[in-house]
Amino acid sequence: MSPNGEVWQGTLALMVLKTLEALGPLHGYGIGRRIEQTSGNRLIVNYGTLYPALLKLEQEGYIASSWGKSENNRRAKFYRLTRAGRRQVVREAGQWEEAAAIVARFLRPESES
Amino acid sequence: MRGVRAWLLRLFGTLRPARGEREMTEELESHLLLHIDECVRRGMSPEAARRDARLRLGGLAQTQELVRARRRLPWIESLFGDLRFGLRLLRRSPGFSLLAVLTLALGIGANTAIFSLVRSVLWSPLPYPDPADLMLLSERSADSGDTTSTSFATWVDWRARSRQFEEIALARDWQPTLSGAGDAEQVTGARVTANFFRALRVRPALGRDFHPDEDTPDTRRVVILGHDLWRRRFDSDPDIVGKTVLLGATPFLVVGVLGPDFRPLVSEAMVGGKAELWAPLGYDATQPWACRTCRHLRALGRLQAGSSRDAGLAELTAITGALWKEHPVDYPGGDVAVVPLSEQLIGSARPVLHVLLGAVGFVWLIACVNLTLLLLARASHREREIAVRMALGARRGRVLRQLLSETCLLAVLGGAAGLVLTVVLPWALTAFGPRAIPRLSEVQLDGGVLLFTLGLSLATGLLAGLAPALRLTRGRLPGALREGGTRTSAGAPGRRLRGLLVVAEVALSLSLLVGAGLMVRSLWRLLDLPPGFDAGRVLTMQVSLVGPRYETDGAVRRHHDEVLARLRALPGVEAAAVASQVPLAGNYDSHGFHAEGRMAANPEQDPSAQRYAVSPDYLRVMGIPLVRGRALAASDVDGAPRVVLINQTAAARVWPGSDPLGKRVKLGGTDGPWWTVIGVVGDVHHQRLDETPELQMYVPHAQWEADSQMIIAIRATGPPLELAAAAERVVRSVDPSQAIFQVAALDQYVSTSVAGRRLSLVMLAAFAALALLLSAIGIYGVTSYGVARRTHEMGIRLALGAQPVQLMGSILREGMALAAAGIAVGVAAALMLTRILGALLYEISPTDPATFVAVAAILAAVALLACYVPARRVLRVEPTEALRGE
Repeated sequence: MSPNGEVWQGTLALMVLKTLEALGPLHGYGIGRRIEQTSGNRLIVNYGTLYPALLKLEQEGYIASSWGKSENNRRAKFYRLTRAGRRQVVREAGQWEEAAAIVARFLRPESES
Repeated sequence: MRGVRAWLLRLFGTLRPARGEREMTEELESHLLLHIDECVRRGMSPEAARRDARLRLGGLAQTQELVRARRRLPWIESLFGDLRFGLRLLRRSPGFSLLAVLTLALGIGANTAIFSLVRSVLWSPLPYPDPADLMLLSERSADSGDTTSTSFATWVDWRARSRQFEEIALARDWQPTLSGAGDAEQVTGARVTANFFRALRVRPALGRDFHPDEDTPDTRRVVILGHDLWRRRFDSDPDIVGKTVLLGATPFLVVGVLGPDFRPLVSEAMVGGKAELWAPLGYDATQPWACRTCRHLRALGRLQAGSSRDAGLAELTAITGALWKEHPVDYPGGDVAVVPLSEQLIGSARPVLHVLLGAVGFVWLIACVNLTLLLLARASHREREIAVRMALGARRGRVLRQLLSETCLLAVLGGAAGLVLTVVLPWALTAFGPRAIPRLSEVQLDGGVLLFTLGLSLATGLLAGLAPALRLTRGRLPGALREGGTRTSAGAPGRRLRGLLVVAEVALSLSLLVGAGLMVRSLWRLLDLPPGFDAGRVLTMQVSLVGPRYETDGAVRRHHDEVLARLRALPGVEAAAVASQVPLAGNYDSHGFHAEGRMAANPEQDPSAQRYAVSPDYLRVMGIPLVRGRALAASDVDGAPRVVLINQTAAARVWPGSDPLGKRVKLGGTDGPWWTVIGVVGDVHHQRLDETPELQMYVPHAQWEADSQMIIAIRATGPPLELAAAAERVVRSVDPSQAIFQVAALDQYVSTSVAGRRLSLVMLAAFAALALLLSAIGIYGVTSYGVARRTHEMGIRLALGAQPVQLMGSILREGMALAAAGIAVGVAAALMLTRILGALLYEISPTDPATFVAVAAILAAVALLACYVPARRVLRVEPTEALRGE
């Protein structure tokens, strides 16, 4: 993944939202681990930037949080998608796919013709 | 939207940091525990797991910092920090802070006051619906250019033929005497056509508007009351509609009361206040005063929606052009004028306000310059602090932000102090001259004014603080960090900048002072001007006779004679007279002046003369000189040959080169009797002091149709107002039912007539004085700073044998060189700027050399003083002490 913070932040937000959409309420550590697993451990999530990203999503109203118990009975803050968050997943995923498709055409132009 | 929500949450987080902090710590702890749990489950030792977890989090402290930065708004926090630091600094140097805040309070406060004034007078709409569609319509005669009036007959045609105007209404001033319950009181009102309030789109709050069929000579006895009058005279009687009130001797039926928000049109009359009651005009075309040439009515038109002033003017011009063809005798040429009502109301105040805006802008600039000078002087004390900060890695932008937030803090404090000025100034203005600036009473403090003050304060802080801040952060470390870095002598940093600023400041104040000086000289000239009469020791009062007793001319005249006889017997009275009008009191009464053998083919083109119907002693009371012939005598009564006195202007214009004595004239129309000129008297300034006197004539009141409303003029042997109560008693003793009003010394009318000029003069002079004070502070500050900085150098010079006086001379020379440069630049600027004063000046050139020289001399003297005080400190410098270091 690009070390460029902006791209990282943008894609991280989408990954967080997508993860919550797939798994339902989850705490920060769980979200990070899940993203790593989904990427086949090709991505190493920097937990230090994960929490500001979660906070930003929460401030923007895409996710909400509440304290609860983890599977091994630890107190943890759980995040869940809001309705606005669900809409945002669809919107951003669409945009991302479109962007990825365009970039893909540039990378393999011959496959088009 | 999402962004705003997030921003607000962060702002909230900034203000209440504790809660978020706790939650964050707990969450990160829980994260570490979860991480450790999993690692241990996968077979790591607890220690290794803990280390791994911390490592992957990227350091607990850094992560906390990242989250914090997201939770709050860091720049606001650092701004608060800067402001706290700034406040601490201000407290540490109270002298500097006080001086700076005071300077700014004056500069910003004056601007806020003038802004609130200008905004409400010039920029806010009139208090009627769709005010932009309201126009004043008038005929404009070719010779006098008078644009305020028209006649009833013309209005009838305008109204019938116009398509561009939805309504055209007429109004004339009216001063009825309200009698009945309580003292008889003269009130100001207006007679208006029935559609007047419809044209304004105003509806009475109580009762109803006039009906069109009430606007006739026989049915016009109905009245609509203003809110204040209703409250004051009728105790806000909710059942007032349907009751009658006595105006003069006539009962009027109250049909409506206006709401408290209604603002009447400004009255044309000098006397009386705003209109407080309205009755139908009640003219019809058969009345003699409804004639085409009887132009004494003001016409107010409301344009159709979608029409424009130009369209209205074009149409009215066409209609009036047609009328000229139909009635060639009645229209002596000229054209029509269509003026937006707002123009007419603000008209004369506009140039005054513009000049004041400019002046106050100058004051603001000077205040900014002063603050910059102060900051530059203080900057030397902070060079080391800033240098250390930057050496330790503070970015220039960050330090600039800190310095600028300090100056903005200072400026906002100054602005807040200035708001006090804003509250006081309009109040003082209203006390000085309510007539001078229309709608002054509507000036108020509100959100807009506060916002303006805040904005101006911030602009001031940024503008004044930028140069010193840039200079401080230029980053010349070595010099600043060296021990004793503040001891540099003549080549002190920023010296040229400071010099430039002083020059600018002096130039700005000189321009203002010249402006104020020119206005002072105008006022002097005006007051020096002989008004044509001797206003000292003259008491005037208006009396109005009501009731059936005064139905015949004889009864009225007998009454006046009796009053005069009793007044003459009063101790302290030198002479007494009655007159139909007196100068400068706002009366206006002119009649056609048709000289035998010199009449124009169309009598309408003959000149008209101001008519005074007076008792014989009038000339003596007023001190108007008789130039030729004889004065009016007690024998000039009804039945005796009709006689008239004319003024010198009339003599010169009507009978140039020949003797007017014995010549005959007809007055008013050409079908009246002949009047014989028996004397020529001096000219009198009737309307304003700065006008050229017009034709004037004096007829014996005994030979003119008796007037129930006259002015009694008394020449006293002492101060006239001391006589007022006794004189009033005497007048009332003849008939207690008559109304007496406007008891005033003639002097008061003279000063009222220049009140507007005086007000703008007072304000401009106040701003100029402020500017002078601020520049004196500026020069003083720069010089004393220079002296303080050069103490070391002075010590060396003294040790080497220089004379203290020589050193002082060199400091004075330096300061005065700056002042001289400022004066030179200022004179050049003022030569260009004073032209805009144009109309506000009277008989004085905008480049009047005497004013310029005097102002330059004043400024030079003040500058010298401002240099001398600090320069004298050099005399006390002890070389040994100065050399030992600071």
